[in-house]
Amino acid sequence: MAGATPQSAPVSGQPPPLTVVPLPRIHRGWRVFIFYSCALLLTGLVSMLFADLLWRTGWSASRTLLLVLFAALFLLIAVGCMHGVFGFILRVIGNPRRITQADCRAQSIDGTSTAIVFPIYNEDIVRAYEGLRATYESLQRTGQLEHFDFFILSDSTDPDKWVEEERRWYELVGELDALGRVYYRRRTDNEGRKSGNVRDFLSAWGRRYRYFLVCDADSVMRGETLVSLVQLMEAHPTVGLVQTVPALVNARSLFGRIQQFSNRLYAPLFIAGLNYWALDLGNYWGHNALIRTEPFMQFCDLPQLPGKKPFGGYILSHDFVEAALLTRENWEVWFAYDLEGSYEEVPQEMIENAQRERRWCQGNLQHSLVLFAKGLRGVNRLHLLLGISGYLAGPLWLAFLLMFNWIHWYQKYTGLSNITVHAFTPFLNLNGTTHALLVFAICMGILFLPKVLALIDLAFDWERRRAFGGLARATVGVAVETVFSTLHAPLLMLWHTRFVAMNLFGVSVGWSRQKRDTDSTTWWYAVRRHWGHTLIGLVWGLFMWRLNRYLFWWFTPVFTGMVLSIPLSVWTSRRTLGARVRKLGLLLTPEETKPPLELVSLRSQMKIHEITDDTTPRQPHAGLADAVLDPYVNAIHVSLLREKRFNPVYAEQLAKLGVGHVGVQVLGEKLLVEGPALLTAPERLLLMTDAHAMVWLHQQTWLRAGESLAPWWRAAIQEYSRRD
Amino acid sequence: MDLPVESPITGLGALTDVSGRLAGRPLEEWNAAYGKVENYFHALRIRNKALLGQLVLRVLERAMKRAPSEPGHSATQIAAEEMDRTVTEWFAAVLQEPPTNADQMLSTRGRLAMLLADMPGKWQDQFLRPPPWPDEFVQSMRDAYLRAGPDFQLSKMAPRPLDLGPITTLTNLGRIPYLKMSLAWTLFVLLLVMVFVLTH
Repeated sequence: MAGATPQSAPVSGQPPPLTVVPLPRIHRGWRVFIFYSCALLLTGLVSMLFADLLWRTGWSASRTLLLVLFAALFLLIAVGCMHGVFGFILRVIGNPRRITQADCRAQSIDGTSTAIVFPIYNEDIVRAYEGLRATYESLQRTGQLEHFDFFILSDSTDPDKWVEEERRWYELVGELDALGRVYYRRRTDNEGRKSGNVRDFLSAWGRRYRYFLVCDADSVMRGETLVSLVQLMEAHPTVGLVQTVPALVNARSLFGRIQQFSNRLYAPLFIAGLNYWALDLGNYWGHNALIRTEPFMQFCDLPQLPGKKPFGGYILSHDFVEAALLTRENWEVWFAYDLEGSYEEVPQEMIENAQRERRWCQGNLQHSLVLFAKGLRGVNRLHLLLGISGYLAGPLWLAFLLMFNWIHWYQKYTGLSNITVHAFTPFLNLNGTTHALLVFAICMGILFLPKVLALIDLAFDWERRRAFGGLARATVGVAVETVFSTLHAPLLMLWHTRFVAMNLFGVSVGWSRQKRDTDSTTWWYAVRRHWGHTLIGLVWGLFMWRLNRYLFWWFTPVFTGMVLSIPLSVWTSRRTLGARVRKLGLLLTPEETKPPLELVSLRSQMKIHEITDDTTPRQPHAGLADAVLDPYVNAIHVSLLREKRFNPVYAEQLAKLGVGHVGVQVLGEKLLVEGPALLTAPERLLLMTDAHAMVWLHQQTWLRAGESLAPWWRAAIQEYSRRD
Repeated sequence: MDLPVESPITGLGALTDVSGRLAGRPLEEWNAAYGKVENYFHALRIRNKALLGQLVLRVLERAMKRAPSEPGHSATQIAAEEMDRTVTEWFAAVLQEPPTNADQMLSTRGRLAMLLADMPGKWQDQFLRPPPWPDEFVQSMRDAYLRAGPDFQLSKMAPRPLDLGPITTLTNLGRIPYLKMSLAWTLFVLLLVMVFVLTH
């Protein structure tokens, strides 16, 4: 881990290219070999057993295909299981090979500068800013705040959101007394989405900061964790990125609480297992990770992929590739998996979760183009491959089930007799049914072993056990989670199959706002989203019933999830059900039983907003009205726009948009006389991007006689005069 | 700075016509003008009613002085212009920046300074007042500056070439004419072969 020092560049100015002397990586090769050999060995043996089962009723081409699908799917679950097993062993015997092994608490961070950036895109601003506040205040308590700056990097395209972001930013810096410590910047051009947003930040301010940490809009970080991350970086000059493992928190629906519980219980094992073979060639998950700015700027600007969307163009899941580009240049990337105090939230509903999956699916499938890129480390190729496989597993599983059905249908309707022969492995002395049951039991064992190991791990850790509400409750929680995931898995299978197919047919995903904490799914919405799943479940079930009633019962978990998808989606989205389960002491997580200060602060602030914020739905274009009419909001908006002049890149973008052009004044006049509804959305955005136009509009709305303004403006002015 | 220090009521009394008109305009017109100016000051968060009324009357008095010489303009229009001028002149005096007709940014800077200096909360009574002002108020107004970020330290990130290996060749295949059609036919043939194999 240590031993080589990079040829560091100065923080300012154009630095020379950074080089890092590659470290001897003696153990990793063996680790990768041992880890994947175990998975492969297991797959080989069980596939042999399965092939032997197929052999009993006569071989055919369809059986060959079935065997191939079985082996591919089993390999994936075996790899998953190995992560659990290796992680469990490492947690029992201890793991000296981790970045947090060395005690860096005495490491000084004087002279360092770190930017904590929050890229946002039409987000729930209140929640995003409260997350920032909780992180800020937590950092303040460490006494090390002076080494950190915060940036809200907006890519919002909704004018109302834009104005609200500016207004609330001002309120936030006022409340925190953080003017000059918490900054706000909105891009006029959303090129490259989130990665483009971060790249834009780096191009403007990157050289001011030795490190930067990317947060999601729902991230919260503990101040001590941030300081520890910087200390780790300072102590290990060859490390380019440290990824924390964010704990899922603040879930309220049953679905969210199940996800949160499984994340908190199983993730420590899985990530310890992942760290076993990845070591210093870890991965980046896009947020809650500290990054060394200079090498990131030099090596991680992503090229566009050749070809058309959805495979070509900007890389949506940029994080994996950025980690691969860092390690390609010999920079180390580590998982700080035992560092607590890193949090994020989870979608509260199955449908929202699926929408997020769709975005990730496209991003991960894009990785197939990068998979064979020259110079990448083998371990990083494995990270990419595992990501792709996660989404290909759905269609593969569906193909396996369909092929299985086909074989039985063919057998029945061709009138061929099902003569059972001796198995290829007669020494097992199994009849056909027992043989099939054995294969099934092994598959289930491999699937559920990590869950059992997680419970055993919990049983031997008194403090953690208490944090999960005790072993008995945690065991019931695992049972609930298992039942739910059994029903949810077939739906994910159908969703993933659809997403993969859509990608293959060239349908690209748009960039929509991520809904993080919404109200429960309504019945009508669930019907619209799940009617296809229900229909497939019913037709398939009926088909199996007519085909073979014995097999039908084996397939019931698959049909049940599909047939019950609508009520499952509605019920699991309910906050009341989540609260009831919590009251019973089930699905508890350490952050619920002993909430950390930063989460308590976040929740109380959100509660205050819930009570005090005006929830009356605002009129359309209310943000525009605020930015034009309110003397202070207008002043903030214009001042932030004027700052852009100092950056030639921004100035060029503004000019390209048409800012300052005489046409903007014409649009402004149209806005005053006819009202905002008669302007297109881009026209309204253009006006709001032009500082001079916004000053002029403010002046004109207050100077002109009411008759010369559109009725919409007269009503808006009236509203202002009544406002307290 | 030309801000009257005498009572605005006294000043207005001199402009009252015997016919029940003010400065040659019907009272309703001045009522509308009053509403316009009051609305803007209300938007500036001047919440003290006594102060608000006094400030509005001060602006109206200036408007009334102008009104007889500008019969083509409504009282509201004249009052709004006077309001803008009064406020801008006051910003210029406090911020020590001479007002120019070309740059409307003084008003923006002034409003921002008022916000950052917490004028609505702490210094409401200083709004539109002639000098001298409390040092703390003047200092906080002049120091007020809002920034989106620290000084830019510009650099250019440039993507390094990434040799995608065999994928580059594959993506280039897409440029071959009729490739999709050929692929569709090949898939169809493969499907037929598969159906045959599976059913025999």
